[in-house]
Amino acid sequence: MVENRPILNILAHLVLILGVAIVALPVWIALVASTHASNDFLGGVVPMWFGDQAWNNYSRMLGTGISTSGMPPVSWMMFNSLIMALGIAIGKIAISITSAFAIVYFRFPFRMLAFWVIFATLMLPVEVRIVPTFQVVANLGMLNTYPGLIIPLIASATATFLFRQVFLSMPDELTEAARIDGAGPMKFFWDILLPLTRTNIAALFVIMFIYGWNQYLWPLLITTGSDMYTVVAGIKRMSTVADTDPQWNYIMATAVLAMLPPLLVVIFMQRLFVKGLVETEK
Amino acid sequence: MASITLDNVGKVYPGGTRAIGDVNIDIADGEFIVLVGPSGCGKSTLLRMVAGLETITEGQIRIGDRVVNDVEPMDRDIAMVFQNYALYPHMSVRQNLAYGLKNRGTSKADIEKRVAEAAEILQIGPFLDRKPRALSGGQRQRVAMGRAIVREPAAFLFDEPLSNLDAKLRVTMRLEIKELQRRLGTTSIYVTHDQLEAMTLADRLVVLSAGKVEQIGTPLEVYRKPASTFVAGFIGSPAMNLIKASSVPHLPGTAHAGMIGIRPEDLTVSADGPIQMKVAAVEELGAQRLVHGHIGGDAATVTMASDATLSDDLNLTYRPGSLHLFHPETGKRID
Ligand SMILES: Nc1ncnc2c1ncn2[C@@H]1O[C@H](COP(=O)(O)OP(=O)(O)O)[C@@H](O)[C@H]1O
Ligand SMILES: [Mg+2]
Repeated sequence: MVENRPILNILAHLVLILGVAIVALPVWIALVASTHASNDFLGGVVPMWFGDQAWNNYSRMLGTGISTSGMPPVSWMMFNSLIMALGIAIGKIAISITSAFAIVYFRFPFRMLAFWVIFATLMLPVEVRIVPTFQVVANLGMLNTYPGLIIPLIASATATFLFRQVFLSMPDELTEAARIDGAGPMKFFWDILLPLTRTNIAALFVIMFIYGWNQYLWPLLITTGSDMYTVVAGIKRMSTVADTDPQWNYIMATAVLAMLPPLLVVIFMQRLFVKGLVETEK
Repeated sequence: MASITLDNVGKVYPGGTRAIGDVNIDIADGEFIVLVGPSGCGKSTLLRMVAGLETITEGQIRIGDRVVNDVEPMDRDIAMVFQNYALYPHMSVRQNLAYGLKNRGTSKADIEKRVAEAAEILQIGPFLDRKPRALSGGQRQRVAMGRAIVREPAAFLFDEPLSNLDAKLRVTMRLEIKELQRRLGTTSIYVTHDQLEAMTLADRLVVLSAGKVEQIGTPLEVYRKPASTFVAGFIGSPAMNLIKASSVPHLPGTAHAGMIGIRPEDLTVSADGPIQMKVAAVEELGAQRLVHGHIGGDAATVTMASDATLSDDLNLTYRPGSLHLFHPETGKRID
C-alpha cells in the first residue's frame, strides 16, 4: 500500500499502539509491581506506577530469597535454569546435527525409515510422553539432577529436519571436492559442514535456549529438592503459598529477572545472525 | 604423471539407467584428451568414474599400472576441476589451495612453497587472502585450477570448467589451460559439449554419443575423416551437410552410400553444378555469408563470399575429394 492520507496514517498508528499496549501491559505491571512493598497489594488494587522498594525487593530475591517458604535465592534458581537451558540448547544442536549428517551423507539400510521415525516424533511433544518419561528418569535415579532436567528434552525432530534441509542444499560438488582433497567423513563434517552451517546453528541456539529456559512442566515434576528448582517453575511455587497471601512484589521481581536471560541471548545473538546473514556464503 | 587406461568400461546407475557402455581408451602419459559429445551422453559419468566419484560397474580403469576400480578418490592421485568451481566458501584462497595438501600431511613449509608457485603460475597472488565470494568468475576458475596444480597429481580431470564464463573469457581461459597443461606435462582428461573448445584443446578427441565411443582421434583426423554420421554432424561449425544419397543420384562413386556428407565450405556455386539447393535464409557474418536451404529433403548450408549474387535456386558443385560417404544402415564411414 502506498496510500498517503493523514487519516489513514493516524489510524494505522493507533492500531499499532493499541497492539503494543496489549502486549506490553502485563510486562509493565510486573515491572511496576516488583518495585512496591508487599502490603501495597493488600487493598486488591494493582499499582500502575513505580514504588520505591525496587532495590530492596531485587536484592532480597537475588540474595537470600523468601527463605520462609523454603525457596532458594533467585540467583541460584537462575543458575539452575541456565544450566538446563544451555544443556538443552547445546544438546539439541549436537544431536540433531549429527543425526542429520548421518541421514544425508551416509547410505545405510533403513536410512529413510530412520528419518521418518525421527520426523514422526514431531507429533509427540514432551507433554504427551511425560508420564513414561518420568518413569524412566525416576528408575534411572535422575530425579533432582541436571541430567534428569536436560536429557529427556534434547532430542529434536524439528532441528534434525532443519539441518537436513541445510545439508541437502549444499552443492554436491563441494562434497566431491572435499573427497578428492582427502577429507574423510569426519574431517568433512568439521572442516566444511560445520563452518558453513554456523549461522543456522546460531539461530537454532537462540530458539532452543529460550525453549529450554521456559521449560515449566518438566522441571516442576522432577525437581523436588529446592536446590534444583529452576526459576520459571520457582515462580509458580512462590505463588502457591499455604497460609498467607502471595507476596506479589517478590514474585514479580522474580518474573522480571526470569525474562532477562532470554532477552540478553536474543540481543547478543542477533548481532551474530545479522553478521552471518550479511556474509552469505552459500 | 601417468598413463590412464579404460578397458571395456561400463556404467549402469542403480536405477537401471545405462550411462556408459563398453568404452576403451588408452591415454598416454602427458596427453590432453577431450571427451566431447552432446549433453547427457555420459561424459561426466565417465570422468567421475576415473575420479572415483562413481562406482565402475563394468570393466577396469588403470592409472599408471594400478587398477583403481576400488581405490578412494583421494588415493587415485588425481585432481579435479568442477564446473561450478566447488571452492570452499568459508576458506580464503590460500586455505582452499592448501586444504588437500594439509589433509595429506604435507609439511607447512612445503605447502607454502607450492601455494606460492601455483599462485605465481596462475597470477592469483593478490587474491590469496580473499574469500572466493570476493572473486570474479574467471578468478574463481583460476583458484579452482590452482587447487588442482598444487597437488602435483598424476592426472587432471576437468568437467566443463569454462561453461560458466562469458564467451570472451572462455576463449582466453581455454588458451591458458592448454598452455598450462603443456608446461606441466600432466595427463589430462577434459569434458566439454562445445566442439570448438574440444578441437582447440585436444591432443586427441573422444567423441561420445549415448554412452558409446563414436570416434577417437586427433582433432584433424576427426574433422577430416568423421567415422560416422553422428561425428560428421557434431564436429565442425557450421555443421557438415548430410544428404540422402538418393537426393543426388548422379554423383559419381556414391552408389553404395546411404548418406553423403559435404562441408559447407566445400560447396561452391556453379551454373552447371550437379547439386540443386533451394535457398530459405541467409546469415551475414561479415567476411562471408551462410546460405541455408534444402538439398532434396535435407537441410543444408553453404558458405559464400559476401559479395556473391544470390538467387532462390542455386546450382552447386563440390571440391573434388571432399565427399564423405556413410553406410546406409550403420551410418559408419565408407572409405
Ligand atoms: N546419479 C544418476 N543416477 C541415474 N542416472 C544418472 C545419474 N547421473 C547421470 N545419469 C544419467 O546418465 C546419463 C549421462 O549423464 P552425464 O554423464 O551427466 O551426461 P553429460 O555429462 O554428458 O551431460 C544421463 O542420461 C543421465 O540422466
Ligand atoms: Mg556433464
